[in-house]
Amino acid sequence: MKQSPAFKYLRYIAILVLLIWSVGPIFVGLSTSLSTQAEINKVPAPLWPPHPNFKGYQALLVPNSVGNANISSEVSAFGKSMRNTLVATAMTVITVLFVCILAGYAFNRLQFPGRRFLFFFIIVTLPIPAFALLAPLFRIMSDLKLMDTYQGLVLIYLSAIGPLAVWLFYNYTADLPQEPEEAAMVDGCNRFQAFIYIVVPQMVPGIAALTAIVMLSVWGQFLLPLLFAPTLATKPVTVLITEFVGKYNANVPLISAAGMIALIPPAIVALFLNRYIRGMLSGWDR
Amino acid sequence: MQALEKKQDLAAQKPARRIGKAQREERILGYLFVLPVVIVILVLVYYPLAKGFSMSLHSLNFAMGPSDHFVGFKNYLHVIQDPDTIATAIHTLGYLAVAIFVELVGGLVFALTLNSHFRGRGIVLALTILPWALPGIVSGVLWSRIFHPDNGVLNNVLYRLGIIQDYQLWFSKPLYSIFFIGLVFVWSSLPLTILTLLAGLQTIPSELYDASAVDGAGPVYQFRFITLPLLRPALAVALTIGTVNALGIFDQIYVLNGTALGTRSITLQIYLMTFAQLRFGEGTALAFWLTLVTLAFSVGYIRSLRSARG
Repeated sequence: MKQSPAFKYLRYIAILVLLIWSVGPIFVGLSTSLSTQAEINKVPAPLWPPHPNFKGYQALLVPNSVGNANISSEVSAFGKSMRNTLVATAMTVITVLFVCILAGYAFNRLQFPGRRFLFFFIIVTLPIPAFALLAPLFRIMSDLKLMDTYQGLVLIYLSAIGPLAVWLFYNYTADLPQEPEEAAMVDGCNRFQAFIYIVVPQMVPGIAALTAIVMLSVWGQFLLPLLFAPTLATKPVTVLITEFVGKYNANVPLISAAGMIALIPPAIVALFLNRYIRGMLSGWDR
Repeated sequence: MQALEKKQDLAAQKPARRIGKAQREERILGYLFVLPVVIVILVLVYYPLAKGFSMSLHSLNFAMGPSDHFVGFKNYLHVIQDPDTIATAIHTLGYLAVAIFVELVGGLVFALTLNSHFRGRGIVLALTILPWALPGIVSGVLWSRIFHPDNGVLNNVLYRLGIIQDYQLWFSKPLYSIFFIGLVFVWSSLPLTILTLLAGLQTIPSELYDASAVDGAGPVYQFRFITLPLLRPALAVALTIGTVNALGIFDQIYVLNGTALGTRSITLQIYLMTFAQLRFGEGTALAFWLTLVTLAFSVGYIRSLRSARG
């Protein structure tokens, strides 16, 4: 499309607005987390603290760094909740990848009676909101003694993310060239060997993309762990942060620091794997 | 869904060239590969769905002592006459309106912007999807720093620019609160809209623009008669995903304003009814209402956009 100078300027303005909109709130959070409460309460407050300090981060990450023993023990829960999020996310990523890559591939490439029906059976659950299942799931999880366990969380996340992951990998498999697999079978591989040695290596970009998507979606979960991870044994950082918001509303830098720490892992994944994520969600660059 | 049908047809046309042992092997492998996900979906989606439906037909109110008798669709009727529920339904429509409006306008503008070559496009794209990647709870925490009435950045910046003379209490009016919380929600959901529309734009052949430019068509004309019609399928997908997501808004409201009635959404109402007031029967009935509305909206959008395309 030919573009006039006016259009060029409009485009630069739009890019600038998009950047400020996307990164601005993160900048605000960073600035707050490095401020003191006194600096924040000034009218008008400085947009960037004149003397950045790391007290909020220190309180959250270094045990017994807060004078008040009561607050110190509460704040030290933060480290544990970060670990909980990390463990649940890692376990879910591995489980979802394993289960859904197999299923996505099988639904697309393997012939077996009932294939279409089973595929439909899974995909049709995509638009069902989690809310329709919460109360009965609560009972099922209690009955199965899976309340407040990583295994229970992983199973729930798998049931919530599984249909999307199967759908994405079904489409992804359909876009992969089929010839290498067929050639391997002509050369004497059986179907399983051809899958392991030929198809899986073909799938590496898709696996990277699915890893990122599952990781991001589990990391940010809130309502499900609010119900199914009630104690610090499995409580993730998202739930703990909402508790901080109620308790420490006079210590905004601490809350902001907690938010900043919790956003680092997903931000890294999004920035470094963004090409793969975009490919999986909206089509691969050719 | 069209892509799915096409792919299934391709797979179906594949001739059954292997017989006997190889075919049996393929069948067994197929069942083994899909078994885990099928079992999990059966036990953790279909079973609770059936159980939830049964719960919604029973009088289950543990706040009044465990009582469990069949009441038919009474819960469904009762729950939509509840004034609180009606209020939360209206709030939810408010969130939906903010989300859809900003996602469509912003999504189109930014997708068109990103659908061109410029230096640093890769970095801009990476930063664009960043908000989508962050937990909704964290977005709430970040934006609470912007809208805070005493020390928020919005007041701060508007005051410095001389646009306002006094700091504003942004959350004092429910209408403002819903608009602002809706905006925070959009911060997380807009990237997906942009990606969807951008993918749609990239399927439009550039020859169409070149040819129409030769015929003297300006950018506005091209947008109206080339871009918009050919973008319809992508718009349908974006609208559907946007609606389904917006109807499920929860985290941002919870962290920014708790469960206060003034900003409570239907999802928060379901959560409170079920897990705070222990009205399991009514809570699940309301959840099934939400499911129905969600499905109706998605089917409706796809239908209307399909017929408009013809």
